[in-house]
Amino acid sequence: MARFDYVRAHSIAEALQLLGEAGLISRPLAGGTDVMVFVRNEKPPFDRLVDISRVPEMKIIERRGDEVFIGAAVTFTEAEQNALLREVAGCLAEACRSVGGPAVRNAGTLGGNVANAAACADSLPALACLDAVAHVRSLTGERSFLLNELIQGANRTAIRPGELLTHFTFPVPPAGVRSAFLKLGRRNAQAISRLSMAAAGRLDAAGRVDYARLAPGAAMPRPQRFTEVEALLLGQAPTDELLAAAGAKTAEVMIGVTGRRWSTEYKEIAIQAMAEQTLRRVLCQ
Amino acid sequence: MTELQYIGKPARRVDALEKVMGKAKYIADRKLPGMLHARCLRSEAPHALIKKLDVTPALAVPGVRAVITSEDFFEHSLFGFPVKDEYVLAYRKVRYVGEAIAAVAADTPEAALAGVQAIVCELEPLPGVFDMEHALDPDAAQVGPDRPDDQHPNFLDLLIVRQADPLAEIEQCAVKLDERYSVGPQEHAYIEPEGALAVPTREGGVLVYAPNQSPFVNYGVLAMVLDLPHNLVRVIQPPVGGSFGGKDDQIYQMSAQVAKLALLTGKPVRLVYSREESLISSYKRDPMHIRIRLGADSDGTLRAVKFEGLMDSGAYASESTFTAWRGSIHAMGAYRYNACAVDIKCVYTNNGYYGAFRGFGNTEVCAGIEQAIDELACAVGMDPLDFRLKNCLHVGDRTAHGQILTESVGLPDCIKTVRRLSDWDRKRAAYANQTGNIRRGIGVAALYHGTSLGAEGADYAGSTIAVEQNYSIDLTSGLTDYGTGSRTVFTLIAAEELGVSPDRIHMQRPDTDTAIESGPTVASRSTMLGGNAARVAADNLRQTLDYAAADLLGCELHQLVRSGEAYVGPDEEPVAWERVVDHAREMGLALSAHGKWTAPRIEWDHHHGTGTPYMAYHFASQVAEVEVDMRTGVVQVVNFWAVHDPGKVIFPQGAYGQVYGGVAQGLGYALMEQITYTNGYLQETNFESYLIPTSVDVPEITAQFVEAPFSKGPYGAKNIAEPSMVPAAPAILNAIYHATGKRVRDLPANLERVLLGHDLAKGGSAKACKLGLKT
Repeated sequence: MARFDYVRAHSIAEALQLLGEAGLISRPLAGGTDVMVFVRNEKPPFDRLVDISRVPEMKIIERRGDEVFIGAAVTFTEAEQNALLREVAGCLAEACRSVGGPAVRNAGTLGGNVANAAACADSLPALACLDAVAHVRSLTGERSFLLNELIQGANRTAIRPGELLTHFTFPVPPAGVRSAFLKLGRRNAQAISRLSMAAAGRLDAAGRVDYARLAPGAAMPRPQRFTEVEALLLGQAPTDELLAAAGAKTAEVMIGVTGRRWSTEYKEIAIQAMAEQTLRRVLCQ
Repeated sequence: MTELQYIGKPARRVDALEKVMGKAKYIADRKLPGMLHARCLRSEAPHALIKKLDVTPALAVPGVRAVITSEDFFEHSLFGFPVKDEYVLAYRKVRYVGEAIAAVAADTPEAALAGVQAIVCELEPLPGVFDMEHALDPDAAQVGPDRPDDQHPNFLDLLIVRQADPLAEIEQCAVKLDERYSVGPQEHAYIEPEGALAVPTREGGVLVYAPNQSPFVNYGVLAMVLDLPHNLVRVIQPPVGGSFGGKDDQIYQMSAQVAKLALLTGKPVRLVYSREESLISSYKRDPMHIRIRLGADSDGTLRAVKFEGLMDSGAYASESTFTAWRGSIHAMGAYRYNACAVDIKCVYTNNGYYGAFRGFGNTEVCAGIEQAIDELACAVGMDPLDFRLKNCLHVGDRTAHGQILTESVGLPDCIKTVRRLSDWDRKRAAYANQTGNIRRGIGVAALYHGTSLGAEGADYAGSTIAVEQNYSIDLTSGLTDYGTGSRTVFTLIAAEELGVSPDRIHMQRPDTDTAIESGPTVASRSTMLGGNAARVAADNLRQTLDYAAADLLGCELHQLVRSGEAYVGPDEEPVAWERVVDHAREMGLALSAHGKWTAPRIEWDHHHGTGTPYMAYHFASQVAEVEVDMRTGVVQVVNFWAVHDPGKVIFPQGAYGQVYGGVAQGLGYALMEQITYTNGYLQETNFESYLIPTSVDVPEITAQFVEAPFSKGPYGAKNIAEPSMVPAAPAILNAIYHATGKRVRDLPANLERVLLGHDLAKGGSAKACKLGLKT
């Protein structure tokens, strides 16, 4: 078992002091569902964990004007049970509900999920779909990133030593927009996503798509909206043909980014179904 | 028979409270003063010569107390049954990744690991055998031991069944089938990883606590490899957190390691595996490649079968020759044939090693034959359930082995009952012509499973029983309860025989100093063998008590009746059971008894492939209903019905529990449990990558019993533990076919196989194993 120090922070200011302390390498600890698994097998690249899981400012979920504010230490359970998120960000609540099992959801946090930046992380497509912005603070200032800027590749982010991912914000979606999340794993719980899909959409009075967002998960090294698919949907009636075309386009965009890998033969088919099903839920039900 | 008081009635498991209250002490919970921690150096190579092994640097590590190698044991620690080809610690060669080479005992687990890392071990890699199809190629590297005959050293065994000439018979059939199937390895995934704790005794011997499958087998292995007289070896069975066949030779190997370290240091020594160590170094269910040829008349009369299986035994024989034998006996399924030939060949490779697992060969062959039967029914144009009903074994039928079934064949009733419970006919028709993306299907499988060891070996068990001073009753068995509920079964049988409340009985866990050697705890044999032994022991004790009661009541034995526990004589005044016990003591009678029961002798001719393999069979039919997403390959098992003939049910909740657990394990085998060796390196080294079903993957399971009593079983009982699992996978696969119209002939039916018809290879590496061995 790896040896390292542990300290609990009670505020963001204290956490930043601890993370910035000279002479030792400190890393934030939230739910520990990734870091504790990692140190079981590998030598920790840090001397100390700074526990930020109970920092009150990082546990907040609230509407601030036209934006939703979510603290990075909000657990999956807290997120999926939150009335505001269920109302305006259904895809995020559903994504949080799909993570692991109850024990993992009670411990794991949204901030941890993003900072760990696994390609299969379930919250990533939902946050991308919502155009969420990640806010990172250090003793010297604050930086903000769109998700696909923050995450630079599998398990790689722009967060620097001494910085702390404190919260996310995203614009409250326009009235009438619905969003949804689907997950495909090898079993129904405690499964790493083979694919996931977040979508948001709305129809205008004439029954045509006037708002569309689509972001797949576990398909790309970095989370991103598939704007080509969104463009294809806008202004159209959500017919079976349109949804099928959107599915086909989703597969095409994915392969355009990833190239053909060992799993592509499967994912090429399955991602079309996932995109169609998710869009059907937000546009047709 | 008078009405039964306890058999077949609701009862509480004897170990329920200690388990749900967290009071059961498993090996990992047991700590003794001065106890040392053991750890093994394990091979990181799949096949290599040990060129240099120097343990002295480890002895210099602070906290390290002793280090052992094969040199510290009798005959370099060679052991194994029935084939003696394995070592407690590797000798000269390693044959799989994870094989133990040396063992360290130290004050702390950290010091033990540091000791392991200090050992100088130079391995010279040898070419490996990783594809069983090429294990017998003339130029394949030698994995198995030298042979006295001219067979390839990687050839382990060939098991056959022969009845007439099936290929000639199939030629004449109107409907033929020739298909290939495969099943992959399966991990037992018990909640408790392997462990053992040894305590040196004052007399120079050793006491070992270990979650054995078979404490007396461990006892024998310990005496042999430690070169100790049997009276200096003692094995005590603690509670076991699941076994499923997995806590056999691996546990004996660990026990010998800690026992030797305890003898050398004079201190208690404990070894407990991490989950990674468990997955990497323990044996798994064997994979098998199967070719099946079948023939039937156009009216659906099944005529002939030819079954060819190739089974991987991995680096060591373990139980593979027995597994392959049970596989060969059941390979044709529970049907009548005019002609049958079965050939199952097992070979050595460097893919870990394979041993016993619930179903023991039958799980593997049943997945093949029950799909083939389904395909043949389809080709004939018959409903697969009707086809099974038309051809299945009945009382009076002759099996493909030449055995005439004279009693206890509940199969036709099982099939008819599962048809009714599952609403088979309506659903079969309703799901026939679906076009949507989400489709339902319903599939059936039938099963027979020989009880106990059969012609594998001597088949007996013993029990002791004694009335204690406080009027409680101590009952022992040489068979252990690793979760099957057998202690409760034995308790209920003894209570019924004695006419006393089960609450009086303390069913002990085996201790080789006090229990009677009873053969191995395998083959779902506890209820029948151990149950009969408990019945005989209790009956012997009851005769003594009856004698005392007749003396006390001044009557003849035949005049005695029972009213609850009390004895009643001709004067109709009940006398408390305790009073009878007191009187027996005053008479000087011994209130303890032994019971031993030996199964009727049966014969199997290995050279001609005929005989009587088992004294009786369990029968069952299971139906699965699935929902398949045609565009993602996701399969949900939405309903499941299991109708079993275990003979008389002794402990109903236990029997239902076995069915629910068996179906869940079969569901995992069918859909998700996948083991991959890449050049001998296991890829799934923990439960994030080796997936077993969760509570939300297992549907509501409806279980029902058809009780066709077996005259030689205790109260007519046969068995349930293994057969509950065996037919689940083919029932699910047949349901997938019904839903999709596409056959998945390779297990597990994962997302890719269901969607694409073939698996996708991710490619693997040695990384997970190398990390896991250092965790």
